[in-house]
Amino acid sequence: MIIGFLKLAIFGLIGLTVVYLLLSAYSRSVQREELEKRFDAGDGDGPRDAYIEEGMRDYERGLRKKLIWLVYIIPTAVFVAVFYGLNFG
Amino acid sequence: MRYVKWTALALLVLFVASFLHYTLPQHDVVRIVGTNTQRMDLGENTWFFSAPDTGNATTIDGNRDVKFIEAIYPNGKPMVYRNEDTGWGWPPYFKVNSFDIQAQATDLTSTEAAPKWVLVTHYGWRSQLFTIFPNAVRLKQVEGPDVTVIPWFNIFFFLMVAGIVFMAVKMWMQFRERTIDPALDDMGEAWDGVEARAVAARKGARTNVGRFRAWLRGLGQ
Repeated sequence: MIIGFLKLAIFGLIGLTVVYLLLSAYSRSVQREELEKRFDAGDGDGPRDAYIEEGMRDYERGLRKKLIWLVYIIPTAVFVAVFYGLNFG
Repeated sequence: MRYVKWTALALLVLFVASFLHYTLPQHDVVRIVGTNTQRMDLGENTWFFSAPDTGNATTIDGNRDVKFIEAIYPNGKPMVYRNEDTGWGWPPYFKVNSFDIQAQATDLTSTEAAPKWVLVTHYGWRSQLFTIFPNAVRLKQVEGPDVTVIPWFNIFFFLMVAGIVFMAVKMWMQFRERTIDPALDDMGEAWDGVEARAVAARKGARTNVGRFRAWLRGLGQ
């Protein structure tokens, strides 16, 4: 039982980590593109690179980056709910 | 070639559809008429049975006791479910309470004269030809054989699949736009430079062999 559970947990963790990394790369890319467009539309002053790097630093501290942790939280919560509901509910 | 393509595609769709049909939960309303446990010596049908119950030895030598639930549909046709733990394995029902379900099934046993209708949630197929049985994962007593059952899980599942496909497409487009296309542009520019040098060198060479050598050198620069 323990071995089976560990196998599920480890492979699940690996799978979710792949999803997490892909989603963070995507989210960062979308953010950078948005900053580039905003600068080109006339927002912000000073050099373009500095504006974008500043915006990316804000993003790294922001809420949207933290929301990507839901990739781990939601499947775990679903697992617990299904496991409990089906067996002991 | 066109037939090959369409056949391959049809086979793929058939495979995915039957996989989902086997794995996703389905609901039957039946009358349970008996429960039993019997030894099965599994052969070609091993694939359609689970592993031994969680906590037991996991050496699968193809014979063990399997719990069964015998039932009758409202139209009088028989149905037999197996009742096995799926544990932590596939499909991900995380079922570890097969003994409790067996007790519940025995409790819900009824006769034709005084029927108790039971909603059985199960996955899998019944096939007389291969001796395989769907696995019952949940029993619930209901009012009568005509209750409406809304397959919430399946609705949620297909919405989620649609969401994942949508996200995957969006992510791929973003990757192509921001990473692959700029890289290809760079490569194209580099190639243009090579060509220009080769043309210049070829013009300077006199013979065909010399022109060919000059073209090769141009590639290396």
